Amino acid sequence: MANHRVGETGLTDSGPSSHHHHHIPYAVLHGMNVPASFIHQEGSAFDFGELEEAIVLQGVKIRNDEAQAPLFTTGRPAATLEMFPSWPMRFQQIEIGSSKSGGESTDSGSAVNTLSSKTENQLEPESPVSKKASSSDHQAFDQKPMQQQLLEMASDISRTGTSQNQSAAKPPQEKRRGSTSEKQLDAKTLRRLAQNREAARKSRLRKKAYVQQLESSRIKLTQLEQDLQRARSEGLFLGGCAGAVGNISSGAATFDMEYARWLEDDQRHMLELRTGLQAQLSDSDLRTIVDSYISHYDEIFRLKGMAAKSDIFHLITGMWTTPAERCFLWMGGFRPSELIKMLISQLEPLTEQQVIGIYRLQHSSQQAEEALTQGHEQLQQSLIDTIAGGPVFDGMQQMAVALGKLANLEGFVRQADNLRQQTLHQLPRILTTRQAARCFLMIGEYYARLRALSSVWISRPRETLISDDHSCQTTTDLQMVQPSQNHFSNF
Amino acid sequence: MHYQGDSWGFYMPMRSMGSDPMERVVKLASESAVVIFSVSSCCMCHAVKRLFCGMGVNPTVYELDQDPRGKEMERALMRLLGNSQSVPVVFIGGKLIGAMDQVMASHINGTLVPLLKEAGALWL
Repeated sequence: MANHRVGETGLTDSGPSSHHHHHIPYAVLHGMNVPASFIHQEGSAFDFGELEEAIVLQGVKIRNDEAQAPLFTTGRPAATLEMFPSWPMRFQQIEIGSSKSGGESTDSGSAVNTLSSKTENQLEPESPVSKKASSSDHQAFDQKPMQQQLLEMASDISRTGTSQNQSAAKPPQEKRRGSTSEKQLDAKTLRRLAQNREAARKSRLRKKAYVQQLESSRIKLTQLEQDLQRARSEGLFLGGCAGAVGNISSGAATFDMEYARWLEDDQRHMLELRTGLQAQLSDSDLRTIVDSYISHYDEIFRLKGMAAKSDIFHLITGMWTTPAERCFLWMGGFRPSELIKMLISQLEPLTEQQVIGIYRLQHSSQQAEEALTQGHEQLQQSLIDTIAGGPVFDGMQQMAVALGKLANLEGFVRQADNLRQQTLHQLPRILTTRQAARCFLMIGEYYARLRALSSVWISRPRETLISDDHSCQTTTDLQMVQPSQNHFSNF
Repeated sequence: MHYQGDSWGFYMPMRSMGSDPMERVVKLASESAVVIFSVSSCCMCHAVKRLFCGMGVNPTVYELDQDPRGKEMERALMRLLGNSQSVPVVFIGGKLIGAMDQVMASHINGTLVPLLKEAGALWL
């Protein structure tokens, strides 16, 4: 049967045969993916309505174009698709099966390529037309009224079409029937199609506008950041009050932003360390990664140094860290000797030389910390004396002196950061490259967990704590174990 | 820890201490194993003093605010180090170590203790 032949060969010889088979689904002739099974399924309930729409629309268009020239050649699938600019998007979606944006921004050329490349071999389990309904939510179209309309029209034609499949040809009859519905279809269907095209175009334009807006905002943001950096280096924010946003000074806000970015970088570095260790990289490659992690920490100390000039209290009170980190805060950051203590147990096995080196490092760090703490205490005492004032409180004078003393805080935070930096630099001198890589990974993970602990703590449910003292406390803790595992899963 | 006040000048009247404060600094620095130039009200100086005492070292401290030529020496020290802070400055065995920065770095990287031993300030 001619039907079957066309169905099976698909694209190939659709040229001269088209005129005789216009009652057959034109999707096949046009090289669109319609499985052969559909041709045999006329009369069955399966997606027949959708198929009818396809037939109708195709039939309508073909009749319109019949007078002009045979367009249904394999050599010009593009022209065919262009007749239904709304359709290629859908087909493209189905063929590629990818993102929605692909559907919206149609390149008819690419759609053609996709279809022509796939029709040779593949037969989709579902008719692409039937997918119109499923993919309608992706589009900006209002499909349903059109579909319902078409179904009504289609049912008329399909009946004619069915009968015609049995007899060889009754073109004039079909034509007559077709012309009545054709007019109706022309008016409403074409308008609907045009509306849909319009809606799609508008949504594409809106999306473009939005993206452009985002891009320009991004550029503006980077420019603002640059201006901020420049102004800060020129000392405009030393007062701390200029341009204060709410309770946070601009210097603090800037630092918080930089710190957030540094945390993102930290994750990247940790991933590098982790994969480097797992991949058993050479020592020199691993060394590069370790060095870059040290530079990464050098960077945060540099940023803290700048922030210390504009807002020392923000740093020293730890407002830039999470609550759990703040709990262990020493002079605006971590305590180096505590960090080493944490590492010692996990760094085994160590050679005797290394053990000595590590313990020596811990000891010197403790001594330095002690010295700085005592110096800091003396500063505090001196400040208290100044603010309390003597028997005669000379306001302005005292304030000036106090201000001068406060300025020394910056020096202490800077020395504390210096101590932290030196400690981190010393570690790879004592350890092997692999040990150093593991060590830095441990450090990164430790603080990441501490930060995660903070967020879990903050988000814990509090209502149950009111009723009962101990039992509810445990319940809450148990409940929190589950979500907290997610926080640790990355580590 | 022992302090040298402005009485130093009285013991060596004939010696030309030099109008050059830097010369004086160097001279003083070479006379003890560990020399700290300090200002009595400076808290960072207090910290550096506590560091050495905590290590069992007995440094010689010059409080420049109590020295008649202290101001000049402070300026000289600032020029020497290129710092905005004149004090504290530490010399070990007559050699310049630096300000708090360098002292701490040296302690962490393990070079401070050998220097101290070499200068005879530490026996262990």
